[in-house]
Amino acid sequence: MATPKTRASSFSRNVPSTAAPQVPGVKSGPNGTLFLSSGISDLDKILGGGFPLGSLVVVMEDPEAPHHMLLLRNFMSQGLVLNQPLLYASPAKDPRGFLGTLPSPVSSKDDKPLNRDSEQEKGLRIAWQYKKYFGENQQNSNSQRDNKFEFCNEFDLRKPLQRQFLSGQRVECMSTQDSPDLAALHDRCATFLKQFFRTDGNISGAGRIAIQSFCAPQCTYFDKEWHVLSFIRSLRSMIRSSNAVVILSFPPSLLSPSFSKRLQHMADTLLSVRAIPDEDKDLAKLLTGYQDMIGLLSVHKVARINTQVPIILEAATFSIKLQKRKFLVLECLNQAPVDGSSGTSYATSGSCSVSSKGGSLDF
Amino acid sequence: MAESICRALRDGALEGEHAPALTIKDSIDAPLGFDVFAHVLAQLSSHILAGKSQSRGLVLVAFTRSPSFYVDLLKERGLEVNSSRKWIQILDCYSDPHGWKDRIMGQGKVDDATKEASGVSRLCKDVKDMDKLCSLAIELGKGLLGEGKGRFSFALDSVNEMLRYASVHSVARVLSDLRSHDLASCVFWLLHSDLLEDKVAAVFDYMSSMVASLESAIRASNGLRISLENLSLTEQNFRRAKFSIRFKRRNGRVRLMSEEVSIERSGITFSSVSTDGGTMGGSLLPKVQFNLQLSEKEQMDRAKVVLPFEHQGNGEPIEIYDGRRSLADKNNEAAGTMQMKDSSKVCLHCWCCYRITDVASNYSNGGIS
Repeated sequence: MATPKTRASSFSRNVPSTAAPQVPGVKSGPNGTLFLSSGISDLDKILGGGFPLGSLVVVMEDPEAPHHMLLLRNFMSQGLVLNQPLLYASPAKDPRGFLGTLPSPVSSKDDKPLNRDSEQEKGLRIAWQYKKYFGENQQNSNSQRDNKFEFCNEFDLRKPLQRQFLSGQRVECMSTQDSPDLAALHDRCATFLKQFFRTDGNISGAGRIAIQSFCAPQCTYFDKEWHVLSFIRSLRSMIRSSNAVVILSFPPSLLSPSFSKRLQHMADTLLSVRAIPDEDKDLAKLLTGYQDMIGLLSVHKVARINTQVPIILEAATFSIKLQKRKFLVLECLNQAPVDGSSGTSYATSGSCSVSSKGGSLDF
Repeated sequence: MAESICRALRDGALEGEHAPALTIKDSIDAPLGFDVFAHVLAQLSSHILAGKSQSRGLVLVAFTRSPSFYVDLLKERGLEVNSSRKWIQILDCYSDPHGWKDRIMGQGKVDDATKEASGVSRLCKDVKDMDKLCSLAIELGKGLLGEGKGRFSFALDSVNEMLRYASVHSVARVLSDLRSHDLASCVFWLLHSDLLEDKVAAVFDYMSSMVASLESAIRASNGLRISLENLSLTEQNFRRAKFSIRFKRRNGRVRLMSEEVSIERSGITFSSVSTDGGTMGGSLLPKVQFNLQLSEKEQMDRAKVVLPFEHQGNGEPIEIYDGRRSLADKNNEAAGTMQMKDSSKVCLHCWCCYRITDVASNYSNGGIS
């Protein structure tokens, strides 16, 4: 029973996972989906493999913190390192300037900050019934480690990406500031996605589109909320039939609540980033590792393509930390040890038992 | 702290970054926004004149007050406008915003500015064209620098006035252009938040790196604005307010600070107020309430609790509840009901206790069998 299978439950499609896919940077996952890495290995793990090809990832910005830029930077760098073409749109007048802030991958293997130590788990005696699930996880993580550099890299946020990756053919940039009704952005996306049209055969390559600060206030289309929604709708339909992933960040506080909700519903994967207060004593007491935290990431929705089974996450909110000020890691929120004697609730149940003893009733 | 704002504006922008931007927000309950704006303006101007700041000049875009007002204001603080070095330029959008006076009076000059002010001010006759306004402001700033290198700051009198003339996105475009300009050192503006929709006010929070908001120091007990009882309170709102600042720091965290501001004859003063700790943290995490301090009543009840089975080490024979009424229980009932009544008083949020007392009183009255 130790042979690891790809079926996690009887509800999943029994598609045998093929050997390493033809294209580097694309991983195959359960239910016949193909994944692209987000550039952050922790996020890939949380989302069950990465961003599925053909999905729309929406990041809700916090007006007080630039953490969405970290997600975008890692996403874009990962694509460039793996030779996946990129289209980048932003409301700045000169979007190419942002490319200078992309992080470069860590070169040596020894520098990896996290070790996936599945060896230690072998010492655990796992009950026979559960071994089949654990075996699958171990196999995944092992294969992930071998193909690690082909799928997901660790990025050093302090070193900029080398020039060779930013050559002209692979990166297209566009400014969304002057577009009155997003037609120009729509056409640009359409021509970009034509290269990755999905056919039934093997995929030739994958592409990435990153749209930053969609609906920023200085854009001309800022008030035209219905145009914005119809753009997203047609983008989704284009994306579904192509081998690409779109990541889009927008500030939800600047849209009217109903439109913000509609936009959120259109996402396949929905993430949000939040700022944390600085030097907050209460928060420092509540959480361990508060000093290293720079923000919070919440996962609201995870894309599920070809399956009806939802992913139920153990935790929906993660802390964003910078390890050694270089590497971006996501960690579960750990509550600091609190004196756990629940005095009040005990007293309540205590008085209940007193009354039930004193009286002569049984429930 | 007001000083930290002024320091941040004085230090200006780093290479490759956008200039720091400050929003000063007020509302009808705390209408001290313009006083704070004037204070920040005066502080920055004194830093510029003393040569301590990154910016070498200031461009003031005046919508709500005339240039001569500002010249007098600065003079009161000992800051001479027409000194040897040009350090301030005022873009006058107050005197003739649409160019009507110019058209009506024809060749006659629009003479609102005093002699002093006219030296430093430049009239803008078409405020609806935000792009032109922006480029005019930048041109004025470059004129301040002259041949030398350096940067200059921008101050915008009132964003509400700008929004009267142009749409939100054009005003936002102006602000972001000013902020992202290579020669901009810092930008700050005044905003009356209750005259705007929440969405629009959120836009200006989004675009700024520091948000200073003024709130009423005294909260009215009821919703009435002006009545005989709280007339004095309303009057006090014209002199005092709570001043809170949110700094967006480079590491992605938000710093919250709070002070009290009061306006007296002598001027404006900021005094620190004891903060009750960050309240933002609690809302981010799921509420976990552990009340570790038991009140006295709760402690007494805890002492009364009869522990099940092996923990009843108080010398009495162990009572094991077997679910049936026995003779022993009938005797205990009288004592039990009294004890129950006490406990039911405490345990108000446990509905089963209510039920027990009701039914138990029926029992003792010989009701339900």
